Amino acid sequence: MASESSPGQEHEALDPKANADLVVGVLADFDANGIAALCDRLRMLPGSLRIGVMSSDQTSPAPGGSQHPETSSSVFFFPLNVAGAEVPGGSQALSLFAAYQSIFAASEKLGARGCCIVASHLEPASPEWVGQLAQPLLEGNLDLLVPYYARYKFAGLLNSAIISPLTRSLYGKRIHNPMGPDLGVSQKLFRRVLEAGQNASADTIHPLAALTPAAVCQNLNVSEVHAGSRLYPPIDWSNVSSLLPQILGPVFTDMERNAACWQRIRGSVSVPTIGNPVFLPPDNEMLDIGAMLESFQLGNRELQEVWGLVLPPASLFDLRKISRLPAERFCVPDELWVRIVYDFALAHRLRTITRDHLLKSLTPLYLGWVASYARELQAGTLTAEQRLERLSIAYESGKPYFVSRWRWPDRFSP
Amino acid sequence: MWEQIKQALTQSTARFLTRFASLLPGLAALVVALIISIVVAAILAAATRRLLAGLQFEQRLARWGFSSVPEWSPIRNPTLLVSRAIAFLVVLAGLLIGIEAFDAEWTSLLARAVFAYIPNVVGAAVVLLFGGIIARFLARSVLIGAVNMNLQYARLLSVGVKWLVVVPAVAMALYHLRIAQGIVELGFGILFGGIVFALALAVGLGSRDLVTKSLERDAKKGSTETIEDPLRHL
Repeated sequence: MASESSPGQEHEALDPKANADLVVGVLADFDANGIAALCDRLRMLPGSLRIGVMSSDQTSPAPGGSQHPETSSSVFFFPLNVAGAEVPGGSQALSLFAAYQSIFAASEKLGARGCCIVASHLEPASPEWVGQLAQPLLEGNLDLLVPYYARYKFAGLLNSAIISPLTRSLYGKRIHNPMGPDLGVSQKLFRRVLEAGQNASADTIHPLAALTPAAVCQNLNVSEVHAGSRLYPPIDWSNVSSLLPQILGPVFTDMERNAACWQRIRGSVSVPTIGNPVFLPPDNEMLDIGAMLESFQLGNRELQEVWGLVLPPASLFDLRKISRLPAERFCVPDELWVRIVYDFALAHRLRTITRDHLLKSLTPLYLGWVASYARELQAGTLTAEQRLERLSIAYESGKPYFVSRWRWPDRFSP
Repeated sequence: MWEQIKQALTQSTARFLTRFASLLPGLAALVVALIISIVVAAILAAATRRLLAGLQFEQRLARWGFSSVPEWSPIRNPTLLVSRAIAFLVVLAGLLIGIEAFDAEWTSLLARAVFAYIPNVVGAAVVLLFGGIIARFLARSVLIGAVNMNLQYARLLSVGVKWLVVVPAVAMALYHLRIAQGIVELGFGILFGGIVFALALAVGLGSRDLVTKSLERDAKKGSTETIEDPLRHL
């Protein structure tokens, strides 16, 4: 029997007969105070709710107190058993995939009306936004709530460079963080994702990549929730190549699955937002682009035969020209970057070369874009938001090129 | 005496003409077999060219990593190469069938020896094919990995790995073909052993400091987070 939380009581396995109105999966490593604050905020949700909290932390005792005196909502704990995390040598992406699947499966088993996933530490730390993530799901208005993080200029660049503008261009929704990772998902949506996972082969549906496209293509209600900035240790830019297949692979695979939907969409619209924007202190972070430029130039010298299988001659020529620019004038034009991303997405579909090789060979190009972006911001002519908005518009402008290549790959074959 | 010489010449001429006459049916059969095999080869070659063109054979070859086929083949077109190889095999088969028609012991032995050698040729071709595929896959993996690690000698590493696979594959193919087996074994042993010995010396003597620093760096890195969290980039 899943336990009502009380001091000293251990987590117990999920009882098949248990039920819950809301399931909250906690993937971030909160300490006991953080979990307690989260539970207190959840207990403040209106209605006599039963809220199940899944956590992978099996060592801390469940926080004390089970019921809020005013709302009569109660919280109980049960463990997040993640199969992927036990696999020797299993990647982090694999364990994330398994964690999201576990949360959705548990929500389905408990008959929950919605589930939330809390995967980040935010600055400023406030549990209030968890309520904003959960409440609309319970009121039945919304199917997918994605975060709209306040962002420092060099945070989440893979999302800013590829995932967010690509989602905007393909699916016509201006969603700033389509892959969360903090999310609120309604019962309708997580059931559809679980069904799609059962119909397709297990490793082709990644929940993080599939949620937003599934919600948009099925005309479900999507909103953004304003949140603070995510906190994490500094990024190791020399260790990016293994991530691109893990993150972009599922995105491109999902793009293939939803091709019939996104090919019809033109332009983009904003989605409703909940909460107030969070303003951050001025960001004076500087990025050392020397190593990134070196990686870009080395890629240009040595990977021409690989890129030549994916990119048209015009793009290769532009890349060679750019690699000869000095650091103070280094710039990867948005139109070129957009065509590169689209060409790689198409090559992923056509399996022009092994997918793992394909996405790893994108690394020098991505680092070149980051270096170009950093140099432009450090020159001070545009803010990060303006710069990324310009990039998003370039993605939308380049969509006809992508649709043509997708429909007639042989006609435009490099 | 002239009578005896004349008689000997007449008899030898008669024997020669008799033997030659006995070969005529076989010769005719050989010519017919060749003509038929040439016609069949031409038809098969044309059909193969059409089929390969329809399957986009050249584009697929490039995707599989064989984009350099036109560079080393005198026939620059892979489709033409395959169709001509098939035509050659059909004509060769026709020739062997024609030779069998002579019904002489030496022609039978020749035909049998050729047919017995075919499995070796097929085995060698399979070894070379798979060796080439594996060599290209590994070379590309090493190239991309080395470039992403910012190693300036990425191309050298990639070529080295490719040849480390190609050389044993060629040696195995030659062994299958039973061509100078002793020389191939000895030559391969010396070459491969020499490469490994040279690498060991290079690492042991020349790169000692580099290896030490690299191991120290890895040991320090071991205490901090080495696995990049994918969620940081979203």
